[in-house]
Amino acid sequence: MTTPLVEASGLVKLYGSVQALAGLDLQVMPGEIYGLLGPNGAGKTTAIKILTGLVEPTSGWAKVAGFDPTRDPIMAKSEIGYVAENPILYESLSPRDFFEFVASIRKIDQSAANQMVTQLAEAFDMSQFFDSPIATLSMGMKQKVALIASLFHQPSVLLLDEPLNGLDARSSHIVKDLISLHAQRGGAVLFSTHIMEVAEHVCTRIGIIYRGRVISEGTFDQLRSKTGGKGETLEEVFLKLTNEEAEVADTIKALREGFYRDEIK
Amino acid sequence: MKLSEAWHLSRIPYGEVAYKSIIQTRSGMWWGSFGRNDPDGESRGDVEMAERALVIAKVDKLVVGVVSTITSIIPFASAFTQPPPPKLMIPISLSLAIAFSFIMLYAVQTLSSFVGAESSALLSTLPLTMDDFALITLLSFVRSVDYMAVGSIVSQAALVAYLTTSLPATLLMLVASSMNVVFAVSIALLFSRLFYRNLLGGGRSKVNTALRLVFLLAWGLLVMGAGILFSIAWYVMPNLEKALLSLDSNPVLPILFPFSAGMTIASPIYPQATLSETLAFAALAGYVALAAVAGRWSLGMTRRMSQGTGFRIARERAEEFFVKVRSPLFGYVMKDLRISSRNPATAFFYALPAFEAVIVSLLMMGREMLRASTILVATTMGGVVSLFMPLGLLNAEGMGLEYTKTLPVKIGRIVKSKALISTATYVPVPLALLGMALLKSLTSPLAILIPFVTISSIASASIVEIRLFLGFVAKRRVDTLIHDLGRLMAGVIIALIPEIAYVMTYLMSADHVSAILVMGGAAAAELAMASYLLQQT
Repeated sequence: MTTPLVEASGLVKLYGSVQALAGLDLQVMPGEIYGLLGPNGAGKTTAIKILTGLVEPTSGWAKVAGFDPTRDPIMAKSEIGYVAENPILYESLSPRDFFEFVASIRKIDQSAANQMVTQLAEAFDMSQFFDSPIATLSMGMKQKVALIASLFHQPSVLLLDEPLNGLDARSSHIVKDLISLHAQRGGAVLFSTHIMEVAEHVCTRIGIIYRGRVISEGTFDQLRSKTGGKGETLEEVFLKLTNEEAEVADTIKALREGFYRDEIK
Repeated sequence: MKLSEAWHLSRIPYGEVAYKSIIQTRSGMWWGSFGRNDPDGESRGDVEMAERALVIAKVDKLVVGVVSTITSIIPFASAFTQPPPPKLMIPISLSLAIAFSFIMLYAVQTLSSFVGAESSALLSTLPLTMDDFALITLLSFVRSVDYMAVGSIVSQAALVAYLTTSLPATLLMLVASSMNVVFAVSIALLFSRLFYRNLLGGGRSKVNTALRLVFLLAWGLLVMGAGILFSIAWYVMPNLEKALLSLDSNPVLPILFPFSAGMTIASPIYPQATLSETLAFAALAGYVALAAVAGRWSLGMTRRMSQGTGFRIARERAEEFFVKVRSPLFGYVMKDLRISSRNPATAFFYALPAFEAVIVSLLMMGREMLRASTILVATTMGGVVSLFMPLGLLNAEGMGLEYTKTLPVKIGRIVKSKALISTATYVPVPLALLGMALLKSLTSPLAILIPFVTISSIASASIVEIRLFLGFVAKRRVDTLIHDLGRLMAGVIIALIPEIAYVMTYLMSADHVSAILVMGGAAAAELAMASYLLQQT
């Protein structure tokens, strides 16, 4: 039986009186690309941060590549490539300085590091920015730096929180391809996104997270069959599963009446 | 737009600057505790953080404002006890110099957040004219030094009014104090511009690195200059008095600010119409014009900075993507060196011990023989200054520490990296003392071992200090301040224990050999304990 590379069971996270996670369960198997979809504040980022070892759960447990990120953070982090929703990097370092730092900490072999960095930097067209302070880079370019740093130690698990934020079409395409390649090599990918089309086309399995727990998961077709609508888009499926379809319709109606009253008349 | 209206609106970009500045420098200790989670800290929202940052900024400003005001009025003390008229020019000049140093240094600390366009991003979307926008942005910057500026202007003018009861002298003092603030703010802007222009240029050329080093040294000199004025004003004053009393034979000082101001302000009460006074008056008139130019330049510079056009970002196309992989420890050391030396708010920490060593050497130059007590004092001064380095290195981590938390790095490695750098910054002290020992004869040759044995205790003190800093999450600002001081004191005590052991042993045995052996033993025991602490992390 294959062991999941990412596993979470009964994860609960309380921030004071706010419950960010309310018993989240999920598994990502080797070779899988698991898309975590949910409305703002549903707990996607908290779940990924717990898996990365950045946040300790209030209760429940998690394992990444067989290691508990809370109890054995060094081993777990060695297996993880992580990109944050808004990557916070050392702003005064250049991408080259930054990669040197990450490669040294991760004990990557000199030639392997150079080969990986060269390939990825060329793919992301970074030559003009490679020696500029990260503070001067655009959001998309910072995202590329974070992506390269997450990939070049060839982790078994990729935890990506909105990895396509700020990327141009070319880079988005490359990232999606890299994610697929990673899964084909037997790695696991867990990524959160708001872009339904991306989840629809890239993910092998999708989990809908709502109010801190996964309320439904499966392939896109499996999710569509749960809502009973043939030909529905993932967005429509998502809104139905999160019971937001009627609410969204009411909100749009109210906005139309409020802002465009004259036109409607 | 009215000045009062612009002042009121400037609170918005200033709030952003204060918030960013504190978040950047405080994240390591505030909620970024490494190796453990802080459930309460995580629950803090951005709004709460922003509000707290503003309160912290106000408290910081108030404390520095009070300290700088008190320090800048200290030179006037001699005018109360020794009223001969010409001496008023000395307190005025010194007071202006001290206020200038404080305002400029504090302004540079906030500029790392100010140089970006983000602080004015909200204002830039509003329908304001370019002039109004620039004025609001400049005032938001002035807000960061307002307590210090008002404190120095009011206290200096009030003291001159009280001491002279002369309206012209008081008015001249008001003008000179205001000019002083304008010069301090302008030079802070100029310095930061030069620093950031070099930094933002990026690249790996040796010229750029050398330029950064020059800025670093210049910055260290400025800090040391302020330190001398602050800590040994009473030593400086007699020398200045001598120099100023022989002004007639020195044509340079009257034309230099703030001496020109000091002399001109003193002259309405005690007119002597000497050549020096005429020169000083003419020079002061020139400085008024220069202050106007500096003010206009600052306004323009602030406008460009707030629009994001203050710095031209030169990009060098990388010809290759070679990255040098080091051991994890040296990888961390390199990262620490890079980030802390590229931040003007922390870069000067590197220069402090070296300059301390230079000053100690200068103080010793006049002595015939080097006594063990003199070497002990010099070692202590250099050592204590080095112990500020861990705090500087942790502050330099800033928000980037969030990324480091995602890497497989143990706390022990972070502690080792920073302790190595802190200890390395102390090394110039024993080397300078060794140099002095080669030039001067020693009362005991073994005494030269004192600063070298102290290398070990500085390493131990740094390890303990950094470990304490990383392990604590403060919930309130007061807690943070108390614990910051507590950690620094812990480091200082550890650094001092072997020296105290030396003194006690020598007092009991009158034998330098025993004293140095006991000192070495104490330092070795400390290092063993620090290493054990390191292993436990």
